[in-house]
Amino acid sequence: MVRTASPDARAYLAAMLIATGSEDRAAFREVYRLTSAKLFGICLRICGDRSAAEDVLHDVYLTIWRRAGAWEPGRASPITWLATVARNRAIDWRRAQGGRQTRPIAEAPDIADSAPDAEAMLVADGERHRLVDCLEELEDRSRAAIRTAFFDGLTYAEIAERAAVPLGTAKSWIRRGLARLKECLDRDG
Amino acid sequence: MTDEPDLQAAELALGVLDGEARAAALRRVLAEPDFAAEVERWRLYFAQLFDLWPEVEPPEDLIERIDASLGGPGHVRTRRAAPWPLIAIASSALAACLLVILLLRPAPEPVAPSPTPPAPIASATPAPASGPTLIAMLGEGKTPIAAAYDGAAGRLRVASQPTTPSGRVAQLWVIGGDATPHPLGLLGPDGLELVLAPADRARIVAGATLAISIEPPGGSPTGLPTGPVVATGALSRV
Repeated sequence: MVRTASPDARAYLAAMLIATGSEDRAAFREVYRLTSAKLFGICLRICGDRSAAEDVLHDVYLTIWRRAGAWEPGRASPITWLATVARNRAIDWRRAQGGRQTRPIAEAPDIADSAPDAEAMLVADGERHRLVDCLEELEDRSRAAIRTAFFDGLTYAEIAERAAVPLGTAKSWIRRGLARLKECLDRDG
Repeated sequence: MTDEPDLQAAELALGVLDGEARAAALRRVLAEPDFAAEVERWRLYFAQLFDLWPEVEPPEDLIERIDASLGGPGHVRTRRAAPWPLIAIASSALAACLLVILLLRPAPEPVAPSPTPPAPIASATPAPASGPTLIAMLGEGKTPIAAAYDGAAGRLRVASQPTTPSGRVAQLWVIGGDATPHPLGLLGPDGLELVLAPADRARIVAGATLAISIEPPGGSPTGLPTGPVVATGALSRV
């Protein structure tokens, strides 16, 4: 599926993030308005608990406020940077719980299988979603394991536990998939 | 080129490694700029998946709670008095740190007409004689960078910064028992002096490694070193 992100939306978010780096509180609220639903979706899925996800999201935006000045245009799109902060923070939270929560709760919605509507896209930089396309080429188990690793923030050991398979099996699903992805991504330049 | 593709960068970027395997990959990030770049490339690939992540509206009042916890002039007061317990804890920890600075700071000069250069390392620890004092020499060759930690005050000083390309900054990291680099702060021309947060203090122990990497302005955006590591040194007790 080939779609392009709306350059206007990305440029506006970038401008708001840069202004947030200069401690512009109104710009910060704009960043929140534009991104909080995406970032809350990330926190909710990984934390698996609504109230924890709210606390983590709170912490994520405090981090964004403090570190917006560190975002470097040209390296990663603004939403990539923001979403990465949210994902890492949510994973940290879950690991600090000693891994007692390894299943997403029912209220976390399912992840789509294919590239979303252009309206919703903030990440892809005017390019098509190469990785999403390459994932389509993988065998089902490899694709599912890689998606689980990313969307649920799980390690090899946690994936094996959740799928009730030996660690080596989970590793081979993912490693086979990563090798295939690497070929596909390299092939497409 | 080998038949077995090197997937460690992809594994680290995806986040599936843990324990010793993760530590080994992080050591490669520190030691091999090409590997670090490969990890970054994979991170950006995987980031395309963020577009697939379903959105969920957070509670309506959360922005007000966040805004309130920022304080300051933009503060919009809401009825919710206690923003978030951890914020309060963090603030009081910060207050305690500031208090320590005030208590341990040498008596101010009676007149201070011009900014004084930072005191040399030797006099940087006017602390009471409790808590370990650790030092490290970062980098090799003629000009290693001295670092000293006053365990009683939780105060870390780095005497200077390495040669840093314009438009980049030097960032200080500690790598302790978890083998994960934790950012400590950005170095200026005069190095760095800061009182560490409790979590970072726990990492400053004999045998832990201090490292300096070259990062974009404001420091690494990822929380891990992204640029070349230009100096490292182990902390030892004096």
